Amino acid sequence: MLVTYNWLKDFVDFDDSPQGLCDRLTMVGLEVDSLEAIGADLDTVIVAKLEDVATHPDADRLTVCQVNNGQETVQVVCGATNHKTGDLVALAQPGSVLPGEFKIKKSKIRGQISAGMLCSEKELGLSHESAGIMILPADLPLGQPVFEALALKDFKIEIGLTPNRPDCLSVVGVAREVAAIYGKPLRLPNSDLKAVSAEPVSERAAVSIEEADGCPRYAARMIKNVVIAPSPDWLVRRLEAVGMRSINNVVDVTNYVMMELGHPLHAFDFRYLEEGRIVVKAAQEGDIFTTLDGQDRTLSGEDLMICDGHRPVALAGVMGGLNSEVQDDTSTILLEAAYFKPTSIRRTAKRHGLHTESSHRFERGADIDMIPTVLDRAAALIAELGQGEVLSGVIDNYPQPLTTPVLDISVSKTCQLLDVVVDRETIAKLLESIGLRIEAGVDADSLQVTVPSFRPDIEREIDLIEEVARLYGYHRIPVTMPKGIVDAKQPPKRQQVKDLLNRLMVGAGFAEAINYSFVSADSIKRLGLAADDDRLRMIPLRNPLSEDQAVMRTSLVPSLLETVARNLNYKSTDLRLFELRPVFLDLLNLAEDGCAEKLSLTAVLTGRREPEGWSQAQSNIDFYDVKGIVEELLAGLSIGQVSFDPMATQPYLHPGKSCGLMMRDGLSLGVLGELHPQVLGRFDIEQPVYLIELDVEVLIACCEDSRKFVPLSRYPNVIRDSALLVAESVSAAQVLDIAWGSKQKTIEDVTLFDVYTGKGIPEGKKSMAIRVRYRDLEKTLTEEEVNKSHDKLIRTICQQLAAEIR
Amino acid sequence: MEKRIQQLQEEALSALEQAADLKTLQDIRVSILGKKGALTEVMKGMRELSAEQRPRIGSLVNTLKDQFEQSFSQRQEELQQLAIAEKLANEKIDVTLPGRKQAAGSYHPITLVTREISDIFSRLGFSAEEGPEIEKDFFNFEALNIPKDHPARDMQDTFYIQDDLVLRTHTSPVQVRTMLKHAPPIRIIAPGTVYRRDSDLTHSPMFHQVEGLLVDENVTFGDLKGVLTHFLNEFFGANLGVRFRPSFFPFTEPSAEVDIACVICGGKGCRVCGGTGWLEILGCGMVDPAVFDSVHYDAEKYSGFAFGMGLERIAMLKYGVNDLRLFFENDLRFLKQF
Repeated sequence: MLVTYNWLKDFVDFDDSPQGLCDRLTMVGLEVDSLEAIGADLDTVIVAKLEDVATHPDADRLTVCQVNNGQETVQVVCGATNHKTGDLVALAQPGSVLPGEFKIKKSKIRGQISAGMLCSEKELGLSHESAGIMILPADLPLGQPVFEALALKDFKIEIGLTPNRPDCLSVVGVAREVAAIYGKPLRLPNSDLKAVSAEPVSERAAVSIEEADGCPRYAARMIKNVVIAPSPDWLVRRLEAVGMRSINNVVDVTNYVMMELGHPLHAFDFRYLEEGRIVVKAAQEGDIFTTLDGQDRTLSGEDLMICDGHRPVALAGVMGGLNSEVQDDTSTILLEAAYFKPTSIRRTAKRHGLHTESSHRFERGADIDMIPTVLDRAAALIAELGQGEVLSGVIDNYPQPLTTPVLDISVSKTCQLLDVVVDRETIAKLLESIGLRIEAGVDADSLQVTVPSFRPDIEREIDLIEEVARLYGYHRIPVTMPKGIVDAKQPPKRQQVKDLLNRLMVGAGFAEAINYSFVSADSIKRLGLAADDDRLRMIPLRNPLSEDQAVMRTSLVPSLLETVARNLNYKSTDLRLFELRPVFLDLLNLAEDGCAEKLSLTAVLTGRREPEGWSQAQSNIDFYDVKGIVEELLAGLSIGQVSFDPMATQPYLHPGKSCGLMMRDGLSLGVLGELHPQVLGRFDIEQPVYLIELDVEVLIACCEDSRKFVPLSRYPNVIRDSALLVAESVSAAQVLDIAWGSKQKTIEDVTLFDVYTGKGIPEGKKSMAIRVRYRDLEKTLTEEEVNKSHDKLIRTICQQLAAEIR
Repeated sequence: MEKRIQQLQEEALSALEQAADLKTLQDIRVSILGKKGALTEVMKGMRELSAEQRPRIGSLVNTLKDQFEQSFSQRQEELQQLAIAEKLANEKIDVTLPGRKQAAGSYHPITLVTREISDIFSRLGFSAEEGPEIEKDFFNFEALNIPKDHPARDMQDTFYIQDDLVLRTHTSPVQVRTMLKHAPPIRIIAPGTVYRRDSDLTHSPMFHQVEGLLVDENVTFGDLKGVLTHFLNEFFGANLGVRFRPSFFPFTEPSAEVDIACVICGGKGCRVCGGTGWLEILGCGMVDPAVFDSVHYDAEKYSGFAFGMGLERIAMLKYGVNDLRLFFENDLRFLKQF
């Protein structure tokens, strides 16, 4: 909402600077977004007189003007044609900076010196359009800044209004708050009709309301013999200052009165109202109606229409129709002001994508009692500016008067909730200052408040308490701490596991990433999933911002691969990134509690194993780095008994360098491995990238802090190494499983420390070297005991895996 | 014999002094005290001495022996020190070469501020709660006193999945879910991801919020001011200017916006605070009785307050990040800074 400092002063005599006023408005809840001085930087644009105007010797369309600036006469070249010798004009002297960072310099135009510029209203930011330069009133003093001479200095104040305050969608509404702030009376604009024609409006026009629910009140006045003309300067400038364009004297008055008093009005050219009557009714579904902006609108049966005897003439509360618009030759005006039901207007405005000053106000709740006042005020102005005559009487169709609420406010409750000590009189005063009517309440603790129609937001006691709070001043409310028992619980397990995973991943050298939850459907398709994969049934947004953000992601992999590609472009080539975020699965699974969201931990790795450096390993990450990370992660979560199953992988992974992670009971924890080169290709990535993808919901279910202390032996250990020759197909897991599965209590640790094929090893075989550490809790093991145990273990391995000792 | 002893003493001590290494030193010792050493020879000759001479010569020999041992130890110590010093001098390395690095991870700045905020509130007894990101219209709007066809819906541009299913536009639905599950007293915070259909330099269609709710008997606006002032002082520093000013949210009444003195200019006015000296940091208010009605709490018995804040904004202020988009581009050069 835009208002100006001077306009507010029309209604309240307050004594504060523009900045001071803005600060006070902000502190009562009318947050000032910006304060802008009109003409502040234009003091070098001065009143000057044209002493002589001659055609430019080398350009027919230009004039060379001799301009008296009050001190001397300077020469200025001008491109306009509407000026003549003797006119007073606005001279922008060299050094001036006009709106739009337009700098004025002394220059030569086709060989003629030009010391400045003669300005149009548009160039000074006074209007949107202008034909020619500004010709000033003849009585202004030469040399004075134009804005000062015309008394145009003012301040635009932009207020970011909250939707509960329709009463402040007008200058008078804001002025009411200003009056309350400074404790000054509010002066309403004069809406007296001076001369009224003898002819009664009721003989010329009639209004009937068929939809009283959508339109509880519809009133009209008529003005005849109006001359349509441009508006006077003061009116044009006020409208410009609050962001509206001048159209003509009639339309401008309706807009002006709306800005002033907050209630929308509409002027019809009465010639085009068939049968001279207005009918308020529902639209015919499917009818086409052309609004003032020239757009054809297909109507819905729910749209409320203003019709004449035959057809719609306005989309009620939103916009008038082209068919009854005020034109240059209009002479009789039917001026209407009405009240429409907020939800009805909101639906219509939304349906047609048409948000207007009018719909904005009706949606939030217009002031139904204001209707007669705005009609009188606008009719008087139209008659004055258009030399018309107002017909006597008002058509005021108001079948069921709305009642204003009468509320009680309890002083003790107010004090209790706000933690302040205020008495009944103070509360009464505060509420009265914004136009509420106060009477004694049912008891000494309460007040009875009659809420005026301009405050539709006040419906309950709490709304009154809020008014007291904001007018009393939030800064006067004390700062206390809540009493009561504190019973903070441990975070739920889900959150604890999430936190732990986050720490473990960062500990493992990963940077945490956050990508948008919505992606392009295509990015998921690039994973090459099977046609029946659940992840291809993505949840689409109904109103996405773009194709790239059209569906909720069912996998974090595409976003992370895009992140990798982006970083590679920035030449960050060693990457360890992870995301710990939900994926969104099809609504078919959406239970009562919205469990379509499953947390996923997805990580990508690429590039060097260690950071670059003079003494760092030069090798690149491989599968076993990734597996090691996963093993550490599972250990950190106390999840044991996980098998790495090469068959349980995913189609977007390298089939030979990936595997699934399976719990004992066959539950899948996720996958790890190298990404399929074709998938990487689809994301424009040329270097190998590794992936870890874990289902956090399963991790949460499986992890249990089962750590138990194992007593330490005080006796020495004995180590035995054995190299075993096995078939190529024998996996490391098979060897280690036998060792770990052995019943021998003295085996403390088993590691596989070498895998070798090549020279000295027969074709189809490989050598695996294991190291077993033996130790007893109770005694020192003898050579014999260790040899016996180790021989037994190696024999078992040799038997079960057809291995030989090398 | 006396002369011989004297001579020996001079020779031995000077030899010790001249010895340049530990091996030479050891050889000297052998040549004096060894089986065939010079002093040993002298001592052998003592048998031939008279009874009167023997004690005197014996004492001389002992003195020489002691003196030699003492000088020997001293010289040995000197030579050992020299040897170590030389060895260490040869082992000198360039300590300015960079250390061997491990891959270092980093938390997303949003995670960092979430954790910090959660920690502050948990010390005040607030437990953490969560809710779904795809949310029912009822929880996101209706139960929060934002009916359909109400202009308050314009305050938040909404992504729709279905008629009654939206991407939550704020973390406030967690308030409703929590109150429907638990009876008062309630002290919760709910960090989470939220979505609004708005994208430009200062708006991201996805961002993060932390919501807070406290419900009990006799909770006052003063308590709201107290808790939030405490939080802001903990987070941004003690003695920070904080102001509460009236605002509007459908689910709180009275409602307030909270401003802090601009952390960039200290309240003098700069580009970041738009010259006002204040930064809008969070919204809050006393829980609206209509919200209590929708969760079946007795609005006569209980009161409470709620608040919500945008985490990207808070992270931007805390770390001086100048571009909102950086939070979601995941440029490693950005992420590694946290």
